[in-house]
Amino acid sequence: MNFRLEKIKALPILVALLLGLVLIPFIYLLFRAGEKSIPEAVDLLLRAKTLEVLATTTALLALVVIINVLLGTLIATGLHFVRIPYSRALIIPTVLPLAIPSYVFTYTWMALIPALSGLWAAAFILVLTTLPYMILAVLISLRQLDSGLIEVARSLGLTKPAIFFRVVLPQIRSSISAGALLSGLYVMSDYGAVSLLRVDTLTVTIANMFKSSYDRGAAAVISLLLVLASLIFVSADQLIKGRSISDNASKRSSVKNTRLSSPSLRVATLTLTLTYALLSVLIPFSVLISRFIGNPNPIDYQRLLAAATSTILVSAIGAVMALAIAIPLAILTAQGPGRFAQFSERVILVGHALPGVVIGLALVSLGVHLGALYQSIFLLAFAYALLFLAKAVAATTQALQLVPPVLREVAATLGKNRTSVTASVVFPIALPSIGLGALLVFLTAMKELPATIMLRPTGMDTLATQIWSYASISRFNDAAPYALLLVLIAAIPTFLLTLPPAERGNQAEIDSMSSTAQKMREPV
Amino acid sequence: MLRNYRARARLNPYLQETRRDEFELKNALRFLALGSTALLATSLMVGCSASDGQEEQVSELTLYSGRSEEFIAPFLSQWERSSGIKLNVRYGDSAELAAQLLEEGANSPADLFLSQDAGSLGAIAAAELFTELPESVARDIPAEYIAANRSWVGVTGRARVFAYRPGAFSALPQSLSELTAPVYKGKLGIAPSNSSFQAAITALIGAKGEAFTEEWLRGLVANDVKSYLKNSAIVEAIDKNEISIGLTNHYYTWEVAEALGREIAVENGFFSANDLGNLINVSGVGILSSSRKISTAQNLISYLTSKEVQSEFVEKTHEYALIPGLTPPADLPALTAIGAPRVDLDSLKNIKVTQDLLIKVGLL
Repeated sequence: MNFRLEKIKALPILVALLLGLVLIPFIYLLFRAGEKSIPEAVDLLLRAKTLEVLATTTALLALVVIINVLLGTLIATGLHFVRIPYSRALIIPTVLPLAIPSYVFTYTWMALIPALSGLWAAAFILVLTTLPYMILAVLISLRQLDSGLIEVARSLGLTKPAIFFRVVLPQIRSSISAGALLSGLYVMSDYGAVSLLRVDTLTVTIANMFKSSYDRGAAAVISLLLVLASLIFVSADQLIKGRSISDNASKRSSVKNTRLSSPSLRVATLTLTLTYALLSVLIPFSVLISRFIGNPNPIDYQRLLAAATSTILVSAIGAVMALAIAIPLAILTAQGPGRFAQFSERVILVGHALPGVVIGLALVSLGVHLGALYQSIFLLAFAYALLFLAKAVAATTQALQLVPPVLREVAATLGKNRTSVTASVVFPIALPSIGLGALLVFLTAMKELPATIMLRPTGMDTLATQIWSYASISRFNDAAPYALLLVLIAAIPTFLLTLPPAERGNQAEIDSMSSTAQKMREPV
Repeated sequence: MLRNYRARARLNPYLQETRRDEFELKNALRFLALGSTALLATSLMVGCSASDGQEEQVSELTLYSGRSEEFIAPFLSQWERSSGIKLNVRYGDSAELAAQLLEEGANSPADLFLSQDAGSLGAIAAAELFTELPESVARDIPAEYIAANRSWVGVTGRARVFAYRPGAFSALPQSLSELTAPVYKGKLGIAPSNSSFQAAITALIGAKGEAFTEEWLRGLVANDVKSYLKNSAIVEAIDKNEISIGLTNHYYTWEVAEALGREIAVENGFFSANDLGNLINVSGVGILSSSRKISTAQNLISYLTSKEVQSEFVEKTHEYALIPGLTPPADLPALTAIGAPRVDLDSLKNIKVTQDLLIKVGLL
């Protein structure tokens, strides 16, 4: 009996069609890059500035990823293992920064330190922005940790650090790598923070070339360099992931026995967590609020409301579209290795590193032939779906892997056909996690700027475009209400992300179902 | 439209060549779109409601505006009230909007493009996306502020200046070429991706040649010049004492002070007469040839170039009126007294050479 998801016959065709959509920006880049002759392209790639920018990007990427891995792992393991009061509540401020766009971080910090600029400043802001990805990824895998192993290790006399390095770390390594990947891809595609801090990364260079130089061929050549760089980065991640211990089965872990209560660990965990919360939530918030209160100009509430409504509407449509594309792709990826699955996974991940301006222009050049669809909220939502597809696919893949294979097998033996197995067994279990993926897309789409500027309907504002347009003429006070509202709205889905799986999903149900299924399978 | 293209293509073999490439791209993209956009198609059915037909009765116009909403919206709503026509305005950066218009090509939904500078207008004109304006439009604007083929017309004037921190230097620079001197090392700010900076460089190349300009730019880079994203950021940086001098347009000192709601420690200075650092650039407007509402669009241009509105621009945005004889912005010499170099604004469209150069020296 070897029922597998891939037996759904239409799947590869559907996935191929969807991949066609995902490839639109790449095709656009190839066409534009084709405007340059090969010697021209080589010149462009080898000029001093390109190498300098590549070095800056690499340095920034390495800085942010290394700091994230260290801090993220420390904070997450601390919050998970160390017995501290309100440890659940403490998770919230470490994930809440997801609600704050990098350019808002930058503006608020620049309000405090006007001279803020350069590589270290950019690394600081980007760590503030992306650390939650790391903390979330590690926390989720810690919750699925097999605590039995820890108890065995302890009974064998291993010290705490030894347990961490030899038992815990190997089990969470793939999640650390996933968190590093997400934050790294974010660093590669960020425009807001780095451009304001005057750090010339590949994305800043590409955006500047696209919009100021009318030389779209040159910009496309540099974009392809970015594609190559992120491909290398993604492959490095897959190497790490490939070597780590994979765990597919769901385990009940009772963390109670493994909690630590040494005072020094408590102090260390609390200090780290609270410092991060101070720098990433408290300080930006108080700057925004003081700007908001200090704003002498009247606020146009009708316009604020309209901007909020369109932000929510377009981001929600984008999240739904992302899911519609992600689910078939995730089914393919979840079924295990295969060249096609691997290819599609990489395409999606690399797409995640593309700057918004590339997706924006690609969809302008395609969309302008689509009549009323051009500059409609649907094309903008589609841009969001393309930009943040990786998030939806990652969450959906993870969700499908949660479903124990034995459940599908049993359902199949009970005479259900494949489609109905997927519909009646797999999806109900995976749904909560899939929903989280959609939430993540929604959250990121709300903050998106470059593609929004290019593709939004003429005359429609979003919260992000209003913040940017006020801030770009230095009217920070006028930008404050929009920034505050954006952060407050984004905080709601962010808060949902911090809820442990038991409260948001039906882990217990899965477990009981799979143990029943296990029993049914055992020979009587 | 297709027939029109064929007629033009017969006359112009180059056009035929590029057009064919465009068609191939278009077909490929269309194939992709048709083949794989089930998702989009469903959206289309929902989204397809109001498409512009070939209507005689014009009730709305679409304007792409590189001038920020803050400064132009009051003028536009005044026109909306008097004409009874609704304006859909897409605000953005001039160069970004120009890039978008180039990407949109003949299918652009825009009727007009209002740009911050002649360079972006020139790029659209060079791609033959503007329609010619009749003599009856913008009669009071002098010919030097109108494109030679009447593809666009200037609306307001802006002078290039150096903004500086009073007291920072014992002597002020007399010429652009002095800025590579050691006294300005690490103290000068520019905005290389900004179109008004690029226009100034284009004028420099036109007057002094590419070799001279390249050497000068390399001199700036060697002198540790600081790059900013926008002109206003330069003025702010001078105020914060991050730098002491910067190349910008005249009205940014006023605009930044206004935005900050306080006096700032920044003043405008002009180079000696006829130096290319004193270039006068214009914001301007053109009508897209894809527009089906050309005569209404011309009415809007006539309004923007009328004496009353021009005077209001001076008062409310601190820019120069282009109509001779109107008062200059407060604290500034008249447009004719600046000592501006003679530069054909049409030549500022050769921005490609400038940008290649900026890319070459590593400023872009």
